[in-house]
Amino acid sequence: MAVMGNKKSKVSDEVPSSSMADIAFLLLVFFLVTTTFPKDAGLAIVLPEQGEDVAVSQRNILHIVIQPNGIVDVKRGESPQVQQVRPEDVESIWRQDVAANENLIAAVKTHPDAPYRFMVDVLDALHTAGAERISLQILEG
Amino acid sequence: MAIKGGGFSRKSKTSSEVPSSSMADIAFLLLIFFMVSTVFQKDRDRPIEWPEAEATQKIDEKIKNILNIWVERNGDVFINDRPYAMTDIAATIGPLYAASDRALVISIRSDREVRYSTIDLLQQQLVAAGVMRVVFATEMEQRMTRERR
Repeated sequence: MAVMGNKKSKVSDEVPSSSMADIAFLLLVFFLVTTTFPKDAGLAIVLPEQGEDVAVSQRNILHIVIQPNGIVDVKRGESPQVQQVRPEDVESIWRQDVAANENLIAAVKTHPDAPYRFMVDVLDALHTAGAERISLQILEG
Repeated sequence: MAIKGGGFSRKSKTSSEVPSSSMADIAFLLLIFFMVSTVFQKDRDRPIEWPEAEATQKIDEKIKNILNIWVERNGDVFINDRPYAMTDIAATIGPLYAASDRALVISIRSDREVRYSTIDLLQQQLVAAGVMRVVFATEMEQRMTRERR
């Protein structure tokens, strides 16, 4: 009873499994290296201490007023002239003005009804421009 | 030269090597054990839409020194999965800040559409608690997405 097709092959019909652990480790290390926790990032600021009021000359203040619709009013010191810009334009304004006056302080005043993201946009622009003296306030009255 | 090899080279039948075939299994066992026993975060993510910023930087602080304050779109404030009234925040953060030896970093994780008055009240509470270092948590914004807007 010679059965056809029952010929034994000399080649093993199993997938070699000795390197499986190596492959698993390789994948593991790959994902370990490429995984990031993206949410632990943001814009760092330092809050003032309580009761810390510093009088600043109007000349050294760049008033940035954020309206609820996202329009930003920029006013320099005591001059009554108001410039209306987009949040991302604050970056170039800061760069120009800080070159003229290195003691400049950015006073960011946000309207109570303005969405948080507009304040973040302005803060982003100031951080991008390298500003460090930033005062966050709420628009009163 | 009468005795071959001085009589010291008797071959043992037992293998002199430590069996290494189960090493991978042991490694995986340890790995799974540490994966299961590691606690990463105390609080769960809340449903918020992140604000985006180009100048986003990684917080240079240990995870245990970062405290997340979540602000949802309707203005509700959560710390460690528990809701807090705005007026209780200073009293809650104060002891935590003192216990951390003034190293605590507060990460404000707020929805992008929250009214600014809420954030301002939160900042006032943090100032009252004596906190210095605050981070507005944002998502990295690519210049491409900005230009599309």
